[in-house]
Amino acid sequence: MGNTSIELCTNMFFNSIEFFIFLPIVFSLYWLIGAKNIKSQNFLIVLASYVFYGWWDWRFLSLILFSSIVDYSIGLALDKQNKSSYRKTLLWISISVNLGFLGFFKYYNFFIDSLRDSFTFFGADLNISTLNIILPVGISFYTFQTLSYTIDVFNKKLKPTKDIVGFMAFVSFFPQLVAGPIERATNLLPQFSIERKFVYRDAVNGLRQILWGLFKKIVIADNCAKYANLIFNNHTDYNGSTLLLGAFFFAFQIYGDFSGYSDIAIGISRLFGFNLKRNFAYPYFSRDIAEFWRRWHISLSTWFRDYLYIPLGGSKGGLKMKIRNTFIIFIVSGLWHGANWTFIIWGALNAFYFLPLLLTNRNRVNTDLIAQGNYFPSLKEASQMFLTFLLTTIAWVFFRADSVGHAISYLQHIFSSSLFFKFEIFPSTILILVMFFLITEWLGRSGNYALEKIDFLFKPLRWAFYILLIILMFSFTGEEQQFIYFQF
Amino acid sequence: MKKFIINIIIFFLIALVFGEVVVRMTHATSDIPRRTIDKFGIQKYYPNQTGYWQGGSHQWMINKLGWPGQLPNSYDNLIAIVGDSFIENFMNPSACHQSFILKKEMPAYNFLEAARSGVTLIESLEISKHIDTLNPKTILIHTGSSDIYESISEIKYQTDVTQLSTDDKVLQRGKLKSPGLKKVLYSWKLLYYFYNRFPLNLTINSTKSTENRTIVRSKFEIHETRVRILLDYIKDHYNLDNKIFVFKPSSEKDLVDMFKSLGLNTIILDSSEESSWTFDYDSHWTCYGHERVANQIKLALIRDFPNLIN
Repeated sequence: MGNTSIELCTNMFFNSIEFFIFLPIVFSLYWLIGAKNIKSQNFLIVLASYVFYGWWDWRFLSLILFSSIVDYSIGLALDKQNKSSYRKTLLWISISVNLGFLGFFKYYNFFIDSLRDSFTFFGADLNISTLNIILPVGISFYTFQTLSYTIDVFNKKLKPTKDIVGFMAFVSFFPQLVAGPIERATNLLPQFSIERKFVYRDAVNGLRQILWGLFKKIVIADNCAKYANLIFNNHTDYNGSTLLLGAFFFAFQIYGDFSGYSDIAIGISRLFGFNLKRNFAYPYFSRDIAEFWRRWHISLSTWFRDYLYIPLGGSKGGLKMKIRNTFIIFIVSGLWHGANWTFIIWGALNAFYFLPLLLTNRNRVNTDLIAQGNYFPSLKEASQMFLTFLLTTIAWVFFRADSVGHAISYLQHIFSSSLFFKFEIFPSTILILVMFFLITEWLGRSGNYALEKIDFLFKPLRWAFYILLIILMFSFTGEEQQFIYFQF
Repeated sequence: MKKFIINIIIFFLIALVFGEVVVRMTHATSDIPRRTIDKFGIQKYYPNQTGYWQGGSHQWMINKLGWPGQLPNSYDNLIAIVGDSFIENFMNPSACHQSFILKKEMPAYNFLEAARSGVTLIESLEISKHIDTLNPKTILIHTGSSDIYESISEIKYQTDVTQLSTDDKVLQRGKLKSPGLKKVLYSWKLLYYFYNRFPLNLTINSTKSTENRTIVRSKFEIHETRVRILLDYIKDHYNLDNKIFVFKPSSEKDLVDMFKSLGLNTIILDSSEESSWTFDYDSHWTCYGHERVANQIKLALIRDFPNLIN
């Protein structure tokens, strides 16, 4: 996965034993404290979140704490100031601190390497060495979350909070701290200042979403990862059809992994009485790339849309501006994922996919639910979905490859005469599981997540389905894989 | 909240029952035979048990003597094989047991296995003392470095295996470790499944290492004196004339040399061939590994120990 280096210590993944002990303890304490005692509940959330994060590396708690204090103070200062230049200075301090941390930890080595390569290209030597930097888990997520606060306060969309504990809870809220969804201050922060009630239906819904998220991660992502890794790591040994299958496996790995994490995060938040934003809306059922990007990693896409694309002028300007802004947003989005040229090219490729739709004003054609009210898609819809999935999968090759050369070589091997040869690897059990997963998602696509509307089933059947998912999870628990997006 | 907790408990109980049924039906976990200690203080299995290995691919059985595997038709021309989990061999079907393969290779002889996972060298010798009453031609004692070191209580004290205190020269018989808890764990298959699938790692990593501060010595160099006491004890207390010590391929050369220097009969297994003898996920021998072991033993018996087997 790129050259991004990451060292994780002892981990508390959502699918780890540690977390299965941690969560019930925090849940019990939280509701024992009582809904009336908001401050104590918020304090418990901060404490639990710091324990959760500290489980990886307690040293980086200082970054979260520092970031929280800086943005809390800047928020209050912005409220007191009316002078535009002073307010802008405050905003830039916040942006510099947050992006400074991000830049140092995530991009320092990348830029040094790239600079050195450029000098070497022109025949000169640049003697700057890279640093052995450990990337703090989730830094890209909480940095963007806290930045949204100062930007919204600056734009007077949000009143700054005076409750430091509530603000710290907002920045460090453990369900979504390390891999999102990236919450907007306007959505999440006010929830820390209102009474949270335990609602049975929400809690059940939360548990169900956690279950579905775990299924996606453990059964789909981890099992697809096994084959994706095997094929990507030895791509010269396989024929084109197998490599295409390997790319499909990665497509399902990354979707199962990341959307699974988001489902678990949203489900856990529901248990605590919080509503997080939806992060995935069945992206592989998209009919074009524009629809895909409205359904994939929604919290990041909308973040970039609101805080980068629109301030740059969005699609309101002339042709040049539209093209420029599209490339900027996609390339920055690629770079956000990691300090590697593979991510940048992945972003650029998606911009190329997206541009024709934007320029022909067809980027908002497919905004409704696909095959609404029907069990099956039409032939046109099915072929549109398949084409979009294929294009996305080709782009994923860059995302997954270790280097640009690796990705190009992988694609060259796919698009060779051996594309029509027999598969050299064909794990039928895993493919059946992927089919089961896709059918469940298809049937549940009108809900926020696949099982949201399962209530129509008779209770014993519903419970049997849950037990089936649990059995599948235990039966197909492979080698535990780290969540991919933790490194971003 | 009350309704939520009650529903979770009910769901949990139903899932437990359902899970237990599924684990039993699919043999998701191996059946584990129950252990006992006989009147001679030997830890073995309750006789006449059967069970499935994980996945249900084959069944294991405990014979009426309390050892895994089938008994020979006769005790005439008997060669006994004593050892640990490698000889116990629950992970392979009976056609891959040493006794079965050796019987095919050397049909004139009968083979008896007496093995239990975790036995130490001294415990193997205790077992062989009782097999001697069957008047075997020879007893092959499978052993390795860890079986030897684990025989010495001063190196690593263990209550569940038989060890020798080299300071006092006293044999300390192994006791059954948490038999009640194990009975619950092995009977409640789902619990055992979870126990195997998600082992609790309670090891506390200490950053302090005394080895870093001293000159690194091999385990043999550290414990040479105690091993010598152990071997002297063995020579004094057991009849070694008809015993052959079969060393696992990874055994330390210094240990093997010490056995040889004392004039003990040895066979050293050699796995330095292209094909692996072991499972990918387990250090135990596969059926192929057992075939290679049996083949090397047969050749060594014919070449080096004709006086014992004729």
